[in-house]
Amino acid sequence: MNELLYIIIIPVIIGSALFLIPGKFNILKGILAIFTSILCLVYSVLIFTGKQFAFTPYTALDRLNSEFLRSINFDLIKYSAFNIDSLNQLILLFVAIFAFLILLYSIVYISKEKKINNYYEYFLLTLGCSFGAVASDNLLLFLIFWGILGLTLYKLIKAHNDESSAAAKKTLIIVGASDGIMILGIAILWKITGTLNMSDINVDTNNALTILAFFTLLIGAFTKAGAFPFHSWIPDYTKNAPASSSAFLPASLDKLLGIYFLARICNNLFVLNDWLRVVILSLGVITIITAVLMALVQHDYKKLLGFHAVSQVGYMVVGFGLGTMLGIAAGLFHMVNHALYKSGLLLSAGCVEHRTGKNNIEEVGGLSKVMPITFIAALVFALSISGIPPLNGFASKWMIYQGIIDFGAGSGIANNLWIVWLALAVLGSALTLASFIKFIGGIFLGRKKEEFKAIKEVSVLMWLPLVILALFCVGFGVFASGYIVPKLFYPIAGNFSFVGIWQSEMVSLLILVSIILGLIIYFIGNIKNYRTADSFVGGGEKMIEKGNYNAVEFYKTISDFKLLNDIYKKAEEKWFDIYDLTKRFVLWCSHSFSNAHNGILSNYTIWIFAGLIIMLLIMI
Amino acid sequence: MNSLIPIFVIVPLATAFLIMILGRIINGFQKTVTPLILLFLTILSFYFLINNNSNSFVYSIGGWEPIENVPIAIYFVMDGFSLILLSIISLIGFLASIYSISYISKFTSENNFYSLLCLMITGMNGVVLSGDLFNLFVFLEISVISSYALVAFGTQKEELEASFKYQVLGGIASFIILFAIGLIYWRTKTLNIADASIFLSSGNSNTFDLFIQILLITGFGLKAAMMPFHAWLPDAHSSAPSPISAMLSGVLIKAAGIYVIIRLFFNMFVASEEISILLTTLGTISMVIGVLLAIGQWDIKRLLAYHSISQMGYVVLGIGIGLIIIARDGKPSIAALAIAGGLFHMVNHAVFKGLLFLNAGAIEHRINTRNLKEMGGLSKEMPVTSGTSFVASMAISGIPPFNGFFSKLIIIIAAIQARFYLLAFLAVFVSIITLASFMKFQRYAFFNKTEHSNKSTLKEVPFPMVFSMILMGILCLLFSLLAFPGIREQILGPAIEVLTNTDQYVKSITGI
Repeated sequence: MNELLYIIIIPVIIGSALFLIPGKFNILKGILAIFTSILCLVYSVLIFTGKQFAFTPYTALDRLNSEFLRSINFDLIKYSAFNIDSLNQLILLFVAIFAFLILLYSIVYISKEKKINNYYEYFLLTLGCSFGAVASDNLLLFLIFWGILGLTLYKLIKAHNDESSAAAKKTLIIVGASDGIMILGIAILWKITGTLNMSDINVDTNNALTILAFFTLLIGAFTKAGAFPFHSWIPDYTKNAPASSSAFLPASLDKLLGIYFLARICNNLFVLNDWLRVVILSLGVITIITAVLMALVQHDYKKLLGFHAVSQVGYMVVGFGLGTMLGIAAGLFHMVNHALYKSGLLLSAGCVEHRTGKNNIEEVGGLSKVMPITFIAALVFALSISGIPPLNGFASKWMIYQGIIDFGAGSGIANNLWIVWLALAVLGSALTLASFIKFIGGIFLGRKKEEFKAIKEVSVLMWLPLVILALFCVGFGVFASGYIVPKLFYPIAGNFSFVGIWQSEMVSLLILVSIILGLIIYFIGNIKNYRTADSFVGGGEKMIEKGNYNAVEFYKTISDFKLLNDIYKKAEEKWFDIYDLTKRFVLWCSHSFSNAHNGILSNYTIWIFAGLIIMLLIMI
Repeated sequence: MNSLIPIFVIVPLATAFLIMILGRIINGFQKTVTPLILLFLTILSFYFLINNNSNSFVYSIGGWEPIENVPIAIYFVMDGFSLILLSIISLIGFLASIYSISYISKFTSENNFYSLLCLMITGMNGVVLSGDLFNLFVFLEISVISSYALVAFGTQKEELEASFKYQVLGGIASFIILFAIGLIYWRTKTLNIADASIFLSSGNSNTFDLFIQILLITGFGLKAAMMPFHAWLPDAHSSAPSPISAMLSGVLIKAAGIYVIIRLFFNMFVASEEISILLTTLGTISMVIGVLLAIGQWDIKRLLAYHSISQMGYVVLGIGIGLIIIARDGKPSIAALAIAGGLFHMVNHAVFKGLLFLNAGAIEHRINTRNLKEMGGLSKEMPVTSGTSFVASMAISGIPPFNGFFSKLIIIIAAIQARFYLLAFLAVFVSIITLASFMKFQRYAFFNKTEHSNKSTLKEVPFPMVFSMILMGILCLLFSLLAFPGIREQILGPAIEVLTNTDQYVKSITGI
């Protein structure tokens, strides 16, 4: 029971204590941080395997005699309620796993030139607060932890130039705004139910007030997870932040937390009505399609991954929008899978950036030979995110499709539109595959450039997390139906039956057999080696080789469609970005008010008397 | 304990005169004595604040007892509400005076500066302590007149112009206030707040009362910089030397404006729905338009000054909601929550806005500009300024775990509980814009680029300035403890008790 207290307090205390160590001992800080994360991992496993309980840490102050402290203690009981059920057991475990792997990676990655001041401090604070947010039952306590996460998110990006500082600013504004909006929802819930404990709240969405509360909390969850229309901070963040920061927060932790909160509001706090389901499902599919379309035309590989981090959230939102047991389990499964492969992808992107120093797909290429481990890991992640069996991305997407088909059997507006949801979800998956061909092809395949000849594989501390994540991806895919889903998700969503029959172990075995067969055939057929020769050009001057097909050029055809072209242009001008739209409006208001303040004293005097007279006229 | 009350007025007043005499003879006298006496007052006020157990302490000058229940002496009243103000005045004054040690050394007449600072504190302490309207007005004038002089302290064109505007508009306000006080005397035949309260609550209120109240809202609204009476503030607060800006924004507009409004409308007048709605409306307008004006500014101190208008809007909003509920005989617990939110935000604002002005001063001290466009990349060379200003920015934007989050949270929850959904929404909206404009401040001042033109000369500000900033940054974090319900009742409870329970306030003075 006390593990819960430790898991929150230890990272926060050590994180705060590290501020006192001067910046030159960064390695020491990193090692301390790793030990802390191992400790948290142990505790989270203990919590995961332990019983479920509700918990208030009142014992700590109970022995004190002071009247004053007693009164504080009483309030602690009221406000600091924690609750552990199977959902947050799972989330706690994965938060700890990701924190450990990414810290391992950071030791080498956060080197001199990429150094962020107080990286490990904020990392540990993030960790502790994420545990706190997941475990807390009281909404206000939850909100405090949740808000601190926005702050650390801002601190984990290095704002050293115009673009990155703009991205940092935008991130904190959007995330902070959503936290502010959540206060409204929490206050309304308190007003309606008279309690702040999530486990006691279950309201019907049948009047305007509850629907308002639902939407305000939904904005919070969507912003954190990065679903349309509150997603626009993620691509900018991943582009400018160090890869380890973006793998830690937007790719894994924020997803886990955002989807966790989405699960809470959809399943526990509110009973959704039919129209709300339509809204959520529409937002889900819009997220899938728009983000993947944007991803297709990106040149910066970290930004491309950022758009995919948005797009994949759509699947989870669709899963929760369905609201069936299968849908919820699928959404959660996809959340875990996404965190695995997306943090893996960002970390491999970080490896590439670490070695080449280039951010653009056009500028790199042919790295598969020199960075084989990174390449294979990235390939696994890319196949996984594109939904290729037998990897984990396929398993969870398959569950989502099944959930949609299953959902279509019911009656209701959302149910009748099932074919729309299904079609768009499948389309999104196809487009994902297309854009990851670009990612893998552009970075790792093709002809190697001269400047990258001397590049070596990254150090073991950097590739080890990648390999572990890749093994997770394979394992979660292969053992999906037999072990992972029943073990992890039945306790949360309840027992459910699959519609389609999918035995992942069996299929994986078949695929493995076919691959082996294919390899055998390949080797038999290839006994006589092929030869390489210059292309024959009929005696003229030798053509300069342009063997490296340009992955980016290839995708230009997409943006050349008339309709899409217009949309992309508008998107470039940020017409779909809720942040920029609001900014324009606010600055316009500001400008018009400022014009009234012309500094002329007589005007100001007139305002005073005008104000006085207007008040008198109204009141008397 | 009662006999200690006049110390809050006498000591700074005496120091102001001593500085003018001894400051010429003893070298460095002014620099040492001002922080010391302010530290003493801080400790004293915090001692009272923690140990007051919701008593009101009354000191009658000259020891005159009430005759036939008519209070004839000049009263100093120190209750939970005035103690909160006293504490923040002394605290911010102390930190600002420490900061001034380095900051003011570039000006010539340091004696005048410290003397005026002490006078301003005398005036503010007097305002929050006096129990009758006339002395309140006198102390108000002491504090604002010394602030006119302090705004003009730089004696550049810009400062003199700002000070002139401030004087003219402040003079109009003082005239309106004095007029209203005269009318109150004519109607109630007394100037004692408690005595006037007895008269006003016994008779029926009429249009004449309403007229007086609107005059008072105009006059003190100008001192508190509520829209549309705010026009002097951006000029005055941005032109003053930075520690003085911190005092003006941090405490003067509260002690001379908000405090008097709250005191008079809760403890003197009978709460009426129209007036309370008017106050809430003014608060909301200031809150929204203030922040919209702020986000477009590129001069840091102007940006901060406009935010003061907006943040005062929050305070008035919280207080106004409380007054509406009292006027409608609603649930006292919700009224108490709203008032607690307002008062809490007032205390918090003093700390974080004070700190922000000190940060702005530190930047100006080093690179001689207030224009955000000419800054950038200061986070490396000025880590303390950067760190503390980040803390303050987060506090004012309402990001946990800093104090501003909790006070805004309480105000928003109270607004929702009282079914003012639109006001709650506007409070959140303003909070978001506040966050946006402080992110702008952070970005352009401290990040955005790594190179700086005069990089070689750029370093962190001297120790006294750093000390004040760090202490205030810690306070930003520490004051969030006030949100804990146990501590909240201990500190803010007595103040709310005084405001919601007028009878007790009256009883403590007149003895009825």
